Amino acid sequence: MSRRRPRTRAVLAVLAASLLAAACSTAGVYESTPLPTHRSAPAPSTTASAPSPAPSGSDVVSANCLQSYAPPATLPAPGHMPSGSYMSTIARRGRLIAGVSADTLLLGSRNPVSGRIEGFDIDMLHAVSQALFNDPNRIEIRVITAAQRLPVLKDGSVDIVARNMTITCARWKEIAFSSEYYRSGQKVMVQLGEKTKSGAKITGIQDLVGKKVCAPNGSTSMDKLRTFKGLEPVGADTHTGCLVLFQQGKVDAITGDDTVLAGLAAQDPYAEVVQGPAFTAEPYGLGINQTHIDFVEFVNGVLATMRANGQWTKSYNTWLADALGKAPSPPVAVYGRTP
Amino acid sequence: MTTPTPSATTGRVPPTAPAPPSPGQQTGIPATPASGRGDANAQPPSATSNQGVPGRLGAVRASLRASLAGTPGRLRGLAALTVLATLLFGLAAGQAFRAADGAIVRAAANSDQLVRMQAIQTHVVQADADATNAFLVGGLEPPAQRADYTAAITAASQLIAEAAQHQPADGPALGALNQELVAYASEIEQARANNRQALPVGAQYLKDASANLRSDALPLLKNLVDANNQRVAEEFDNAGRASLWLVVAGLLTLLVLVLGLVWLARRTRRYVNVPLAAAALVVLVTLVLGALGLTRVSSRVDTARDGVYAATLSTAQARIAAFDAKSNESLTLIARGSGSAFEKAWQASSAAVTAELSELGQNPASSGLAPLPWSDYTSVHKQIRTLDDSGDWEGAVELATGTGHGTSNAAFGSFNTSSREQLAGLSDQTAQQLDQARRWLPLGGALGVLAGVLAALCAWWGVSLRLEEYR
Repeated sequence: MSRRRPRTRAVLAVLAASLLAAACSTAGVYESTPLPTHRSAPAPSTTASAPSPAPSGSDVVSANCLQSYAPPATLPAPGHMPSGSYMSTIARRGRLIAGVSADTLLLGSRNPVSGRIEGFDIDMLHAVSQALFNDPNRIEIRVITAAQRLPVLKDGSVDIVARNMTITCARWKEIAFSSEYYRSGQKVMVQLGEKTKSGAKITGIQDLVGKKVCAPNGSTSMDKLRTFKGLEPVGADTHTGCLVLFQQGKVDAITGDDTVLAGLAAQDPYAEVVQGPAFTAEPYGLGINQTHIDFVEFVNGVLATMRANGQWTKSYNTWLADALGKAPSPPVAVYGRTP
Repeated sequence: MTTPTPSATTGRVPPTAPAPPSPGQQTGIPATPASGRGDANAQPPSATSNQGVPGRLGAVRASLRASLAGTPGRLRGLAALTVLATLLFGLAAGQAFRAADGAIVRAAANSDQLVRMQAIQTHVVQADADATNAFLVGGLEPPAQRADYTAAITAASQLIAEAAQHQPADGPALGALNQELVAYASEIEQARANNRQALPVGAQYLKDASANLRSDALPLLKNLVDANNQRVAEEFDNAGRASLWLVVAGLLTLLVLVLGLVWLARRTRRYVNVPLAAAALVVLVTLVLGALGLTRVSSRVDTARDGVYAATLSTAQARIAAFDAKSNESLTLIARGSGSAFEKAWQASSAAVTAELSELGQNPASSGLAPLPWSDYTSVHKQIRTLDDSGDWEGAVELATGTGHGTSNAAFGSFNTSSREQLAGLSDQTAQQLDQARRWLPLGGALGVLAGVLAALCAWWGVSLRLEEYR
């Protein structure tokens, strides 16, 4: 029995020591606060619609389905819209609801000083509002992204979209277009003094092989961009989103319509639009819901008046002449579509 | 003095046999074959194989064994056992109080850290609310709003450094948060520089900054808030469990002392060894009083936890959700017509504020506090939505960005001020109540250790009285 005592005491001592050690060492020491497992970068996504080659040159008229509905011989007077027409629905509401861009300088952008949205596209809407209400400013503006243009027209949340939208056959299957009100073309914008990989001057999009090029998701610019092999397409919500990525060095170039690129270049003296012919033809039209054919005809009448009375040229000179030169003659309207 | 059988037992031990049963067998230590080496009559293996230190150790062990042989030896063993048990009890009692005290101190420190995290989150969403609201009025932002933004960012970055100092475990997350804050602030500055030149790309920088803040910085802050909340809960639980030390050690010690008393009564033909019984009484009293005291402390801690602490959390969460709602109100108007996603976010944030406030209303700690004027702000917000939805965007913006009576900023400002004051008050009360709860704990710990020493003295005295009879 004498063997037991020291053992017991040793065990007790170890027990006590370990209890005290446990009490002293773990108190107040915590596991590190976890970092979120999924950290989303401001993801330049490349999820755009499937590629489809864009037409160009003399094929534009037929390939782009420029035909719209012919306007009536005389437009109804402001404030006297025919009953049952979609115009009378707008008149009863008291304002035209329009989907526009608020960040496409020159076409449709918010003037940070006045807070008003203004540009060449917006002038078209002022003309429509004038014809409807005899007041150019009865417009409720909805700012939308490029990808939202078709959905907002189809669900009826806007009456009209004036957001540098290219008339295409594919889009005619979902919405209706006015006659062409501007002929744009796709170009690229790069950093001032940017060279190709071999050090040569950049003359067009074919020289951007191996570089990241940004275009808005759901735009014809993105569709066209995807047809060029060897460059990496990067998507953003809007062209201005592309400009942010461009200024942050996350993309090397931006592609889009010359008008849009002119607006971007105007905001960044270290960017230049590569000179040379456009590699696509982008006829702009105002988008309207497919079922509102009477309203399409009415808008075509308004555009015809603008072309005829010099209002179109005046507006062009206000917004686009500085960036793109003197106003050309307005695009010729093509009618002949039947419901 | 006759002692019954023990000598007969020792006599029967074969040199290499396992240890025989002994009176000390209650300890339940299994005898191992190695124990055979410990027999006093056996030749220690070290004596032949090694003449160095193990040999001397063997001699010491042999003399120790001799001093524990026979009845006096067993009495010495009993004395050592009871003294050790009571001393350990004293330490355990001290540890129970120390553990409770430490847990409450740490709970208070973690709760301070939690308040700090929530303050960071509040400042960050407040800065975003300012930036987005100022944006609506264009490049020429109101100086007061800009100053408010700068103050919020400054406060947030100061608090991040302070918080990293207070809790090393938050270090990596705070480092990541600091990066996000720097990125956010620089994007806002870029938005500002562009807005100042009337360039539309400024709006994009602002939208990106706001979106990145929500996707990257706010999840980090949520983790930080959750982790600290968890730590506070853990320490509150530890404070409640601290009395286990006292209870377990107390009961074991009582068992040892009672067994000792029984053994003495059998061997010595005296019914009660008074000093040893006194030692048991000291242990019992310490156990009962200590357990009662710790239970009381734990119930006070629970009161603070469910009362002022919960109210502090609710108020802070309500403020965070409120500023988020205010940011979303501006974003709704900035998105101009496409703001339905932001309006949904506003609804969610406002519902969160209402939920926190109703929880606060049911909290006993909030009795006597004036209700926070959230509904004043929501009614202004409804007016803004009505104006915007009916096409009067300019009117909506005027109501959202103005500072006069009845504007969104005025109504929100009064909510901000009163909730900030309420939060400061509740936070102070939490600290006070926790401090009061632990006020007597250090003294209790000292008394516990003293009780252990006292009981040990009694035990030693009691057994040595019997031991005297063998001299």
